[in-house]
Amino acid sequence: MKPFRKYWAFARVACGEARSHRGELYARGLFFALILAVFAALWRAVGEAGLPLAARPERLVWYLAVTEWVLLSAPLRHLEIQEDVRRGDVACQLCRPVAYPRALLAQCLGMLVVRASFLGVVAFSAAALYTRELPAWSALVLVVPFGLLAALVLAELYLILGLVAFWLRDATPLYWVCGKLTFILGGLMLPLELYPRWLQVLAACTPFPSLLAGPAGFLLHGATHVGALALHLVFWALALFGILEFVFWRATRVLQLSGG
Amino acid sequence: MNAPVIELSGLTKTFRARRARSSGTFARLKDFVAPITEHVLAVDRVSFEITAGERVAFIGPNGAGKSTTLKVLSGILHPDAGHVSVLGFVPWQQRQALGYRIGTVFGQRSQLWHHLPARDTFELLGSVYELPRAQHRERLQALTRAFDLGPLLDKPVSQLSLGERMRAEVAASLLHRPQILFLDEPSIGLDVAAKSVLRDLLQRQSEQEGTTLLLTSHDTGDIERVCQRAIVVHGGRVVWDGSLQQLRRNYLGEKRVRLWSEREHLRFALPGVRVLSESPHFTQLAVQVNVTAVGAVVEHALRQGALSDLTIEDAPLDEVIEAFYRDTRTRQAS
Amino acid sequence: MKTLAIARFCWALFRTNLRSVTALRGSFLLSMTFMALNNTTFFVFWWLLFGRIGSLRGWHVQDVELLFGISAAGFGLMQATLGGAMHLARFVDDGSLEPMMVQPKPTLLYALGCRSQASGFGDMASGFVFMILSGYVSWSDAPRALLCVLVSCVAFTAVCVALGSLAFWIKKSETLSRQLLDIVITFSLYPEPLFDGGLKLLLFTLVPAGFVSYLPAEVVRGAGPVALCLMLGGCALLCAASLRVFRAGLRRYAGGSRFGVFG
Repeated sequence: MKPFRKYWAFARVACGEARSHRGELYARGLFFALILAVFAALWRAVGEAGLPLAARPERLVWYLAVTEWVLLSAPLRHLEIQEDVRRGDVACQLCRPVAYPRALLAQCLGMLVVRASFLGVVAFSAAALYTRELPAWSALVLVVPFGLLAALVLAELYLILGLVAFWLRDATPLYWVCGKLTFILGGLMLPLELYPRWLQVLAACTPFPSLLAGPAGFLLHGATHVGALALHLVFWALALFGILEFVFWRATRVLQLSGG
Repeated sequence: MNAPVIELSGLTKTFRARRARSSGTFARLKDFVAPITEHVLAVDRVSFEITAGERVAFIGPNGAGKSTTLKVLSGILHPDAGHVSVLGFVPWQQRQALGYRIGTVFGQRSQLWHHLPARDTFELLGSVYELPRAQHRERLQALTRAFDLGPLLDKPVSQLSLGERMRAEVAASLLHRPQILFLDEPSIGLDVAAKSVLRDLLQRQSEQEGTTLLLTSHDTGDIERVCQRAIVVHGGRVVWDGSLQQLRRNYLGEKRVRLWSEREHLRFALPGVRVLSESPHFTQLAVQVNVTAVGAVVEHALRQGALSDLTIEDAPLDEVIEAFYRDTRTRQAS
Repeated sequence: MKTLAIARFCWALFRTNLRSVTALRGSFLLSMTFMALNNTTFFVFWWLLFGRIGSLRGWHVQDVELLFGISAAGFGLMQATLGGAMHLARFVDDGSLEPMMVQPKPTLLYALGCRSQASGFGDMASGFVFMILSGYVSWSDAPRALLCVLVSCVAFTAVCVALGSLAFWIKKSETLSRQLLDIVITFSLYPEPLFDGGLKLLLFTLVPAGFVSYLPAEVVRGAGPVALCLMLGGCALLCAASLRVFRAGLRRYAGGSRFGVFG
């Protein structure tokens, strides 16, 4: 029980931290609302043209509300970690009786809870306002837990990217690529069904579709893929956690050998 | 008597700071929605004058208002009240004009470009201060010699040691022959040897070119080795202003006497004399000179046996300042 | 005389900057290439969408390419030459602004010109490629296109300065101003006809994407002198406003405290 209390404390501190950056959170909410406005306009224009898309324009706005909610709620802390690694602050973490990757993950969880609840309200009200319709409650009930889990997996991925700074001098280009892969392969703006066949196959081999298109997909085609998505997310959560631990273990070796 | 180059009277500056409510979920929620801000008085009616060529130490504990005053003097901060004149300029109104005539070294902040050799920064500074090419070259050569920068100029700054970087840093701020040099914690983080080199350079620079120095430091070594005068601030106020010697005499009429004796142990049962440390054939004493004269102490020792050596020194400045703060606090309490 | 000294200073700053950003050659090339790649990936969305629908309220994929090209080139030019603009909030926060303030050159100019971002060169390159790809830019109207990129760059810089100056009032606002900038960038990349009414008003005032990309794109596509004047006047107004904000902020500057290095 005791170790859990430790990480619980980390999560709580991060909660407070996320709350204290009010301005940032409000700006995020504003950004979110505006992005949804842009896309509501875009899909309306597409709809006017009577052009063939997989779903009605309103549905696509709700789809985006969910994908962006996951993306904006996930605490992406790679830059902080990179900075910590560069300054050598990570070395200080090593002598504490805490597993650094787990403490990071606990912090992510704390931040995630604060952000997701605020942004969730923003997403819901903005999407309802722009589309003047609500999706089925059964779909929304599924979106919340799966979305939260997806955001946590996304946070894991970026924790790993942050630790890569142990080997690369500047890993920023890597972040861009990863960000754009999330964007394209995750189906941030367009449902994957609209992609060419080869791109769909490629996407299916990565964790990205289950992170964004997965939870948002409940709004487009109901609860058809609950089992598959749960399996995918749990698999990726565990796999990435394993990789995180491994990368950190390798990184400490580097640190011990080169002295930071 | 030279004319003052820095004059300030009644300088006052407050900052706004955010204060958290007491704990509890509701209080936290209130902090989130509407935080409380309060005003903190950083500098409180500070007045002093500095004449050309003086070397002045600005001493005080953390948060005493040293850096704030320095920032007002160099034009970075606007004060809330008070009159300030630096070389005849009002710093915050004529910041750029003043910029040509002063130099600054912030120990915690670098003006050298990190990835480039220092030479590149010197070149850039040449056009910042509009130095003619020939003059720039000549000055750079002189500084290179004085600060022993020869081998460092063409190495990227990121590869210099802190001591080397600081030397380059000070040289950079002297490039345009400033009349006043402000230094905020110049020796922070340096090792003993590097500190010593830096102090000698500062003192020599000031003596040779008549540069006025105003430096803040926590390191009493900086102050003792470089400065002639000290201004002590505490809680935003000047609590003492005078020569270093006076500071020592007024605030700790104490001398350090070290004795190396033939006898294994010496005994001192004199009023105003404390034994600080003792080992076979060696005794270190703190002597309150207004109670017992140093001569009487030495005489007392000689009566117990021959001495192989003795030294008499002033108490270290650290202790002077500590005693000073103690004194101020008790006075404030009463 | 004074102007000459400032011009000489700008040139020296730019040269030092360029040296600094290319000092780590591998990192420079990597950042540049990846940024160009990054932009191309972003555009996949439009190619996919237009692949399905042909045109959108009269806009074709070429129009979006032009818009995107101008935005990317303008933003890239800013990042490459006035790269400090993106870091202004941090400079204020950690006190890096102070060494610039005590030197006898305009503080804002110093702060803007003291950084150059390698990725900016990648943005610029991809921006020009997209502009050419759109088919709207031929040799004869290259000068006009360049002017438009320049205006976009200046407008972006003005936006950055205004947003970065928030740090004078709000502590730790770097992420905040970055996010607000993201809003402007985002709007500058979507076809203008999508927006109407209140949203359009917003795009020429509070979120000045209109001056950053829409008007320059109109001018490149051959709009008349009215659009040209509107573009130049709007940009000038934007600059004046952001300069005011910065000056007001500098007056109430309360000092930052943290370790910081140049370059």
